[in-house]
Amino acid sequence: MTKRFSATTALDCVDISFYPGEIHAILGENGAGKSTLVGILSGNIAPDEGTLTEGDRVLEFRDPRDARRHGIDIVQQHFMLVPAFTVADNLALASLKTTPFLNAKASAQEARVIAESLGWQVNLDSVTADLSVGTMQRVEIIKALAGGGRVVLFDEPTATLSPDEVEDLFRVMRKLREEGRAIALITHKLDEALAVADRVTVLRKGKVVVTAPAQGISPSQLAQWMVGELPSDLKKTAVPKGNKVATISGLTVFGDRGEKLVDDVAFEISEGEIVGFGGVAGNGQVPLAEALAGFRDYAGQREIIGNVAYIPEDRQRDGLALSMSISDNLLIEGHRKRSLSFFGLFIPQRVRAWCEAIVAKYAVQTTSIDAPASSLSGGNQQKLVVGRTLDGDPKFIVAVNPTRGLDVRAENYVHKQLLDAKAKGAAIALFSTDLDELAALADRVFYMNSGKLTSDLLGEIR
Amino acid sequence: MKAFWLLVPVGLILILAITIVAFGMPFGESMQLLFEGSLADKFGMHRTLLKATPLIMVALGTIVAWRAGMFNIGGEGQLIFGVCCGGAAAALGASLPAVVQTPTILIVCAVGGAAYAGIAGWLYAARGVNVVISTILLNFVAIHLLSYLVRGPLQASGGAIPQSEPLEKSVRFAILDGQTALHAGILIVPIAATAVWLWLSMTRSGFKLRLVGKNPFAARAARLPVAKIQVVSLMVSGALCGLAGGIEYLGSNGILFDDFSPGWGFLGIPVALLAGLSPLGAIASGLFFGALFAGSKNLEAFGDAGSALVFAMQGAAVLAFVALSRLAVSQKEAEA
Repeated sequence: MTKRFSATTALDCVDISFYPGEIHAILGENGAGKSTLVGILSGNIAPDEGTLTEGDRVLEFRDPRDARRHGIDIVQQHFMLVPAFTVADNLALASLKTTPFLNAKASAQEARVIAESLGWQVNLDSVTADLSVGTMQRVEIIKALAGGGRVVLFDEPTATLSPDEVEDLFRVMRKLREEGRAIALITHKLDEALAVADRVTVLRKGKVVVTAPAQGISPSQLAQWMVGELPSDLKKTAVPKGNKVATISGLTVFGDRGEKLVDDVAFEISEGEIVGFGGVAGNGQVPLAEALAGFRDYAGQREIIGNVAYIPEDRQRDGLALSMSISDNLLIEGHRKRSLSFFGLFIPQRVRAWCEAIVAKYAVQTTSIDAPASSLSGGNQQKLVVGRTLDGDPKFIVAVNPTRGLDVRAENYVHKQLLDAKAKGAAIALFSTDLDELAALADRVFYMNSGKLTSDLLGEIR
Repeated sequence: MKAFWLLVPVGLILILAITIVAFGMPFGESMQLLFEGSLADKFGMHRTLLKATPLIMVALGTIVAWRAGMFNIGGEGQLIFGVCCGGAAAALGASLPAVVQTPTILIVCAVGGAAYAGIAGWLYAARGVNVVISTILLNFVAIHLLSYLVRGPLQASGGAIPQSEPLEKSVRFAILDGQTALHAGILIVPIAATAVWLWLSMTRSGFKLRLVGKNPFAARAARLPVAKIQVVSLMVSGALCGLAGGIEYLGSNGILFDDFSPGWGFLGIPVALLAGLSPLGAIASGLFFGALFAGSKNLEAFGDAGSALVFAMQGAAVLAFVALSRLAVSQKEAEA
């Protein structure tokens, strides 16, 4: 399979097979191509090249119904349930995917049989919104199995489950394997893949790195396949020197469902030091960064001396108001500057002068500071965000993937700005999924895994 | 985009013409009557100013909330609740000197409107209740509260009519023209519009409000208290609507009764929309609709259709405006 989205190749000549009676884990970081693969298998995305075959038969899916008719069922990462419906209603709704007629009785009966075979008690009359996350997933699984699917795809199924629920899910997956179904597990969690899978395929940047039997693979080997060769100049955690700027201990951030996104982390960052935070995306980096920057609730200790600056990962969502002018976007940080206003009233000449100075200093390519931020290219948008952030000579800088989506020139530019800030004595927490970036900038590197910090990517991930 | 704004008045006249023809009224005669009732002489012009006053005040309130992304549809309720508070203040402080009473009543009306909007704000911030829904529903509560007050606690003594004690002449706004009953309350409008314009475009807190409206995520990442800014914008919006009620109370009406507001709190919203949520544009837009309301009195000769004309026209104009401005924006994006 090959699938391109404009300039990027999401999947590049990927070969994957699924066999009856086998659990096949597909591992990869964010952006490795997992979602595209799921999209193709579920009939939502048409591949540019390549074919999907079952035995000798070539399958062509025009829409998700086709996929379901051919026995491919998906347990979605995000639950596709109507919260206000009862469980029975949701199951009846799902059955409409294959027939145009509603038969609530038949779908309920089928659901009962499936639930019983898996050893579950599910009350079909419960309102879905009242169920626990684990039970909701059970409903999702029953929904997927109700079509009698021969291939069942689990897309990141454990994201919101408790350890007990994960164990039960594995039990069910094994049971489905024994029934002779082909099971696919899409995940970025190494330990889960190794715990349940018979075979693993690792994707990286749209290509298959390896397909191998799960038995005998070590977690560190798997991690290495996922992230690629480590740059040789990555620094190990060393003892910080100089005055402490940030002192963090026992810091925990909770998610919407009360789960721990960041789990009891502790570290210190000194002035003139860049500390890198690497690891597979989605392991608590963004919640930790937001807590460090000071706009997300947390438990534990966070002591920071001096002013804090934040460079968000998603500049269009968190960094800019695209329809507002460039000068207004600079004021997102600049409005705090005492020199620009008099008793809360902006002094227009000073605001203009300051905005034009930033645009000039950070080489933002634009005709006017009155143009909307949407008129800027991605690199110039980032220069705007970085420029306004660093202009205040912050003592502590939190940056999350600050070069995401930038070309090499813009990337070098942002790196130089961060190194300059460091030279001026700023303490920098640099979150990046790009190991080369961490190697180039960080004095020492931590890795995040399931919300915890480790100092060694390959050795300590389990 | 500049050309688009020049087309607005032309489009409004066109829509007015189409509405008149669609209503089956004689076109030339209707236009003449509208003109005579609104702009032809001093009487018409003063009537226009008096009608435009509450429209513009409510429009300013709408602008403040909507610019912060809080879609306040409760101007009517905030206006009426403000006036209820003002009426209560007038009853309690009837013995005070007039120079104290007038500003007190006006301020109480504004504070009442702010507090009433604050209920919707609290429901939103603490409970996640949709502001559109809560503000709409609170309108009805306020309308019935007024209806109760003029039959109970605030009813004029000895009267069988459901209305409050009239305000003393000395307490009400000075009359600028005895023939037309033009009062000094209209002077508050340009002051308020200028203040809102200055606030939104030139101050730090106005900037924060606009940022929250344009992108609350960016505001959060800039460590601004998003929910607080939203609630404050809603309360200021309510204060301006309450002020609109206070001006009517101290100016044209002087008394509380069931139909104190013929729907100013609703009619001001399209005025704000047609002004593109610009405070100074709201003056132009409010004067235009003020003139139509003033002139439409003359059209009642044609039966009920005459008085309904302006409402139908206003609705058609807003729909056309919203559709066209969307088109203009998407075209601009396509060019970019």
